[in-house]
Amino acid sequence: MKSIVIGVESTAHTFSASVVSSDGEILSNPKSVYKAPPGGGIHPFEASQNHLAAAPSVLSEALRSSGVGLSDLSAVAYAMGPGLGPCLRVGAVAARTLAASIGVPLVPVNHAVGHIELGCLLTGAKDPVVLLVSGGHTMIIAYSGLRWRILGESLDLTLGQLLDQFGRHHGLASPCGRAIEESASRSNHYLRLPYSVKGNDVSFSGLLTASKSLLDAGASFEDVAYSLQETSFSMVAEVTERALAFTGKKEVMIVGGVAANKRLSQMMSAMAERHAAKALSVPLEYSGDCGAQIAWTGVLAHGSGIEVPVAESTVRQSWRLDVVDIPWRG
Amino acid sequence: MTSPGEAEWVPGRLLYRGAEADVVLGDWQGLPAVFKVRKPLTYRLASLDQEIRRQRTVHEAEMIRHAKRAGVATPFLYHLDLQASTMVMEYIGGKMLRDLAGHMAEKDVEGPFFKFGEGVARLHAAGMMHGDLTTANVVSREGSLVFLDFGLAHRTSRLEDHAVDLRLIKETLVGAHPGISRAALDAFFRGYEAKAGTPRFRRVRSQLRNIERRGRYARVA
Repeated sequence: MKSIVIGVESTAHTFSASVVSSDGEILSNPKSVYKAPPGGGIHPFEASQNHLAAAPSVLSEALRSSGVGLSDLSAVAYAMGPGLGPCLRVGAVAARTLAASIGVPLVPVNHAVGHIELGCLLTGAKDPVVLLVSGGHTMIIAYSGLRWRILGESLDLTLGQLLDQFGRHHGLASPCGRAIEESASRSNHYLRLPYSVKGNDVSFSGLLTASKSLLDAGASFEDVAYSLQETSFSMVAEVTERALAFTGKKEVMIVGGVAANKRLSQMMSAMAERHAAKALSVPLEYSGDCGAQIAWTGVLAHGSGIEVPVAESTVRQSWRLDVVDIPWRG
Repeated sequence: MTSPGEAEWVPGRLLYRGAEADVVLGDWQGLPAVFKVRKPLTYRLASLDQEIRRQRTVHEAEMIRHAKRAGVATPFLYHLDLQASTMVMEYIGGKMLRDLAGHMAEKDVEGPFFKFGEGVARLHAAGMMHGDLTTANVVSREGSLVFLDFGLAHRTSRLEDHAVDLRLIKETLVGAHPGISRAALDAFFRGYEAKAGTPRFRRVRSQLRNIERRGRYARVA
């Protein structure tokens, strides 16, 4: 029988709710995004205040525009983690309240698994090597033995943090990805920056320091932005290529906020072509954080009988992707 | 160094398309040989790409020599062509540890993974790291292990670098061979400890934990 799940996302800057049916139809996906001040990053408490204020209207809008009534819902899913504590707790409270008041199960979802599963739904990927790049994650992932396994990752900063911290050094407001991409597109002057691949892992901290130093020494923002993108994207493309060659899989999928960058997806396509693999990108609207990733994964988890009693429905700020069982792919 | 002429260089079948190079089985001066060709990666900026390919080819040749001195089996290097970022090497038959591990029961891992650990400890004791220790870069030939692909190797005695080697092995085992990862890692560590000595082994393993703790959302097992 068709089931309908509402999912609540609130791990970082975005509060979003979405209604998704078990046949994979996304019926609504409204969101409210906390804006950090220029030059600054996400302040967890202030972001949580944004979410608190936005929660009632986002939730009502998710239901209203889906055309679904409360009595049609089979379960309420929420992002249990990983993420910022104060932000996670807002989503958890909203989800608990809703689930308890209408008497349906509460389904915990790992945010990173959400990115991947929604990506698979939207791109049709069956068994991909996944590049998850956002402010919270930089990982190369593939499914094996009941779990999404991490084949490579950043040893320090995430790709999103690298871009944001570089942009903020220049006085931009997070998230800075789009502004950096625009500036980079106006340059083709490559300045040498440290390229740090360690086995299947990458390290961005030296690259960030060197990029900031170039700016401080008077190099143009366009040139450094261009060089930073070329260097960091080449690094992640290289380690993704290693995972693709190693596993022999035939699909590469990019998900997470940085997936919106056109230069990155262009590199991934060229890389995939070398291995006769398909490069898949999640549509812009769904590449960043959104309720749909939680709702759809909630559908899958609910179908496998995963739920959590309200009394145990805590949040998990550090909840690594590779400890989560994925029975629906077994 | 000149390019080998056509008469002495006969490329044949593609053995493996890796992330950074094509490995082609061919013939060099009448010997069966492996050609490791670092082709341009078109997704990378040309100047950055060329520099990385040249650097890694030179490096790899030096590192192979260094590994041999340390008593670790590697392919013999026949020829080096920097213009084409190509190395010509001895052809090693045998099977990748990755493919062997795919069919291993937990009780079969002791032998090969103990030897794997010993080999890595030898490299480290000689003041180098391999930099790319996946199970696809170790080949079992008549019961002994041959180490391949020194493209990311470096001369280093830093604890951190040696721990990075172990981290990749752990990541590969847990990520690609989850069924046998615990037993394989145990055997590997025992082999490593046997060659490196207990004090050094403990220090490297404790540095490995430090690295893992630096990772995002890390819960170190």
